[in-house]
Amino acid sequence: MPAASAIHILIVDDQASMRALIRTSLQAIGCREFREAADGEAGLREAITSPVHLIISDFNMPNLDGLGLLRAVRAHPPTASTAFIMLTGRADRELVARAVQFGVNNYLVKPFTVAQLKEKLEGVFGPLT
Amino acid sequence: MSDHPVEYHAGKKIHVGQGEHHITADPDVMLTTILGSCVALCLRDPRTGIGGMNHFLLPEGAGAGTDAGRRYGAYAMELLINDCLKMGARRDRLEAKLFGGGRMFDTLRDVGASNADFAEKFMRDEGIVVVGGSLRGSGGRRVQYWPATGRALQRAVTDTQIPVPAPAPRPRMAVDAGALELF
Repeated sequence: MPAASAIHILIVDDQASMRALIRTSLQAIGCREFREAADGEAGLREAITSPVHLIISDFNMPNLDGLGLLRAVRAHPPTASTAFIMLTGRADRELVARAVQFGVNNYLVKPFTVAQLKEKLEGVFGPLT
Repeated sequence: MSDHPVEYHAGKKIHVGQGEHHITADPDVMLTTILGSCVALCLRDPRTGIGGMNHFLLPEGAGAGTDAGRRYGAYAMELLINDCLKMGARRDRLEAKLFGGGRMFDTLRDVGASNADFAEKFMRDEGIVVVGGSLRGSGGRRVQYWPATGRALQRAVTDTQIPVPAPAPRPRMAVDAGALELF
């Protein structure tokens, strides 16, 4: 049973407010190790420079969107097995299907609650302590 | 922003209701809404003339400082911002006008002020310049906004002209994408 505090997480979203909300929601679950990036390109650089256990990424972003980031992460051997949760603005079946095709581990529709985020994390890592 | 009477508009007029947002790049479009305690963000990229308006109300019992309020509010703002960016606006050029957040009832909790506080904080956090608008006060207002020019007009309206707010939105509980269940 993994400890939430041991999971190193990269939060990628172009809205500072949304990054802050994701961070505080993760803190409420017990996560403590975060890094942040404001778009897909910066997120990819960050993930390659300092690998993490989990990337939580928005879909709609400038430069490189969430799907592009997911594909790039999966294509790069050192980051290929990093867990990836996609945030979407709406329950878009086609988007989720494409994300699944590219190897997403889970997805979450905004606006989400802390309980929903925890459920998605546990869907990836198993029950968290 | 001007406080003159509502102007006659020969072009297209689009009403933005509670929980809605609308984006346009058409210089003939005027967006309009009627606000009580709700807030409308009027947003535009002055270089391209792309812009839009939303009309939101934080969930009941979820003021600017609560997690639920911030989650819903940030989502409502994100929908408008993302659609503007998708149409070709640039984030670093965005300018905003904020309207609404009036105190409609003499109760302990000032819902309008919570909405206004949230909107102002969101703009500060996102680094979006607020170039005008009118927040708080008592009573409702009708707002007209031309995204192409950034011009906005407001007029005070009587209580009977303000639509009764729909039940306060709550963050969705279901997080599946249609019939596609993954995990």
